[in-house]
Amino acid sequence: MTQALNAICSRPGNAGLGAGLRKKKINMKMYAATIKKDILEPRSRIAYYQRQKLILILIVTLVSVLPLIGISLLSLHYYKGSWIEKTSAELASLANSRKETIELFLAGQDNLLAGLMDLYPSEFLGQQANLERVFNATNKSGVITDLGVINQGGSHVAYVGQFTEQLLGRNYAQTDWFAEVMRQGRYTSDIFSGFRGVPHFIVAVANPERTQILRATVNSDLFNSLLASAELSPGGDAFIVNRAGEPQTPSRAGDVETPFQLSELPTSGTSVIQTDDFIYSATSLNAGQWVLVLKEDIDSSLAQFYSARNRVALLIALAIAAIIGTATILISSMVNRIQEADQQRTSLNNRVLESERMALIGRLAASVSHEINNPLQIIEGQAGWMDELLSDEKEESVENLGEYRQAIAKIRTHVNRAKLITHRLLGFSHAGEMVMAKTDINQVIGETVSFLEGEANKNGITIVREFQADLPEILTDSSQLQQVLLNLVNNAIDAIGKDGRIIISTAPVASGGVVISISDTGPGLSDEVRQRIFAPFFTTKNGKGTGLGLSISFNIIQRLGGDIKADNNEQGGSVFQVFLPDASGSKRTRPQEKR
Amino acid sequence: MDELSVLVVDDEEDFVETLLKRLRRKGVECDGAYSGEGAKSKMMDREFDVVLLDMKLADENGTEVLKELKSLSPETRFLILSGYASASAGRAGIGNGAVDYLIKPVEFETLYEKIVQA
Repeated sequence: MTQALNAICSRPGNAGLGAGLRKKKINMKMYAATIKKDILEPRSRIAYYQRQKLILILIVTLVSVLPLIGISLLSLHYYKGSWIEKTSAELASLANSRKETIELFLAGQDNLLAGLMDLYPSEFLGQQANLERVFNATNKSGVITDLGVINQGGSHVAYVGQFTEQLLGRNYAQTDWFAEVMRQGRYTSDIFSGFRGVPHFIVAVANPERTQILRATVNSDLFNSLLASAELSPGGDAFIVNRAGEPQTPSRAGDVETPFQLSELPTSGTSVIQTDDFIYSATSLNAGQWVLVLKEDIDSSLAQFYSARNRVALLIALAIAAIIGTATILISSMVNRIQEADQQRTSLNNRVLESERMALIGRLAASVSHEINNPLQIIEGQAGWMDELLSDEKEESVENLGEYRQAIAKIRTHVNRAKLITHRLLGFSHAGEMVMAKTDINQVIGETVSFLEGEANKNGITIVREFQADLPEILTDSSQLQQVLLNLVNNAIDAIGKDGRIIISTAPVASGGVVISISDTGPGLSDEVRQRIFAPFFTTKNGKGTGLGLSISFNIIQRLGGDIKADNNEQGGSVFQVFLPDASGSKRTRPQEKR
Repeated sequence: MDELSVLVVDDEEDFVETLLKRLRRKGVECDGAYSGEGAKSKMMDREFDVVLLDMKLADENGTEVLKELKSLSPETRFLILSGYASASAGRAGIGNGAVDYLIKPVEFETLYEKIVQA
C-alpha cells in the first residue's frame, strides 16, 4: 500500500501532491495481507485430496491385507509340511502292516513244509501217493500250486502238480537253490513266471538230517492283492523288488525305480524318503531278500489340502475385496467431508481477505481523496479569483484576455473532473452512512431496471423479470442497493454485447432474507476472472471500465449485511447472486470508524 | 447584505485568504482563522453571522471545535466544509448545530449562495 502511495507521489506530475501529503504528515497505517498461493488454486486442492484419498486407501488396505496374506501363507506352509509328515507316517505304517502280513504268509509256508517233514517220515513223503494225499489235505486254499520231494542226491522223487512230466525225476543237485537249502535248511526264491506263466516263488525246506527236501511252488497273486489293497492315492504305487532292484510284483505305474540304495537298506525298520514329487517308504522282507516299496504321489495326496487351500484363498480374496471396498467408501466419504469443510474455510478466508482488502482500500481512498480535495479547493478558488479580477480589467488593456478566460475555464473544468474521481473513490470508504429502511425489493429492482431497459433494448437485449411475490420485508438502504443493481445489470449488458437475455429473479431464502439473481447469456466467467472479479481495479472491459464497480458493489452488500457471489450458469453465461438478510436476521453493519 | 459577517475557519491558508478577498468583493464583512483556537479568539472579540468551518483542522477534532464555537455564540450559524465526501461527518456537524455541509472542492458561487441562505 505504501508502495502504491509512493508511486503516486513520485510521478513527475504529482510532485506537488507528494509534497502536500508529506507536509500534512499523514498518519497512514501499513497493511499487508498474504494470500497463500494454494488457496487461490482450487484445482491443486482437488488433486491434493484425490492423492490423500488414494494414499489413505492404500495404507489401510496394505495394513489390513498384508498381515492377512502373510498369516495365510505361513499357515498354508505349516499345514502343508504337517500334511506331508502325516502322509509319510501313514505310508511307513502302511508299509509295516503290509510287511507283517507278507512275513506272516511266508513264515506260514515255511512252517507248513517244516511241520509236514516233522510229522511224516521221509519214506512216507517220498511216496507219490502219500504226497498227493498230504497236498490235497493241506492245500485247501490253493496257495501252493505244486509240491515236490527231492532226495539228498537232488532227484525229484515225488511231485504233485500240473507239471509232473517236466519236473518228476529231474535232478537239482547242480542248482544254487539246492546248495542253499542243503546249507541253510531252507530257501525262498525270487518271484518268477517260468514255464508256469504266472508269477510264483519257490519255498524249499530240508529236514534236519538234510536227507530230504520238501519243495513247494507258491502262487504270489496273494502279494499282488495285498499290495493292490494298500490305500494309496491314484498317483501312488506299491511293489516288491529284490535287493538288485528287480521287480517281484507288478508295479501300478510300471516303474520300480526308487531313490533307495536297495543293497544297503537295513533288514529291519522302515525307511522314508521324500523327493520333489513322491514320498517313498521301504521296508525289507523275507529276511532281507526283498524290499517292499510304497510310493505316494505328493500332489495326489495333497489334493484334499489343495482343495482346502483354494477355498481359503477364495475367502481371503473376498475379505480383501471387502476391506478395499469398505476402506474406499469410508475414506472417500471422510476425505470428501474434510475437503468440503476445507473448501468452505478457504472460501470464507477468501471473503475475509477480500473484505479486509476492501476496507484497506476504503481507508486509503478516503485519505487520499481528502488530501486531494483540499488542493482542488484552492485551485478552484484561485482560478475563480483570477476570473473575478479579470472582469475588472478593461478588455483593451489586457492583450490576451480571451486566452486567460479560456485557460481559467479549462482549469475549472479539470478541477471538476478531478472532483468526480475523488468523489467516486470515496465510494470505497466506509464513510457513506447507510440509511436503512424497510424495502420492497421487487419494487427497487423494477425501478432500477427501467433506467437501463432502453439501452438494453437498443442492443437487442431483453430483460426478463421473474419476481416472486410475498418476499419477506428487507431492512436495507435502497439507494445503495440500487447502485449495486445498476452495476450488475450494466455489466450483464456489457457482457452480452448484442442480442441476448438478462433474467432477474427474486426468491425468499429458507434461513430468512431474499436472494436476487441476475443471469445473462454472455460468455460466462473463466476461473481466473471468477477468482478476482471482486478485486478493485480488476476489469475485463479493456480500458472501458475502472474495475471499481463490482468491488464497490461487494463492499456495499457486505455493509448491508448480505453477500454477493459470481458463478456460471449451467446453460452458459454468468449469474450474480445477491443475498440480503431479512429485517430480523439483519447483521449489524460495521461501526463507523472515527476519522 | 452589508450586515453579513462571516468567519472562515480552515487550516489551508491559501484557501482562506482567497475566499476572504472574494467575499469582501461581494461586500461581506469577513475574517479568517487557521485553527480552532484562532477561531475561538476571533469569536470572543466579536460576533459573526456565519462561520464556515472545515471539519478536519490539523490536530483538532472538528466536532469538538464546532461544539465549543457554538457554545461561545449560539446565535451564529455554522456551515461545514469537508474534504471527505462523508454524509456522517456532515450529519455530525448538523447534529451539533451546523445548518448545512458542503464537500470540497466547491465553487465560490455555490458557497456564497449557502452563506447567504444561512
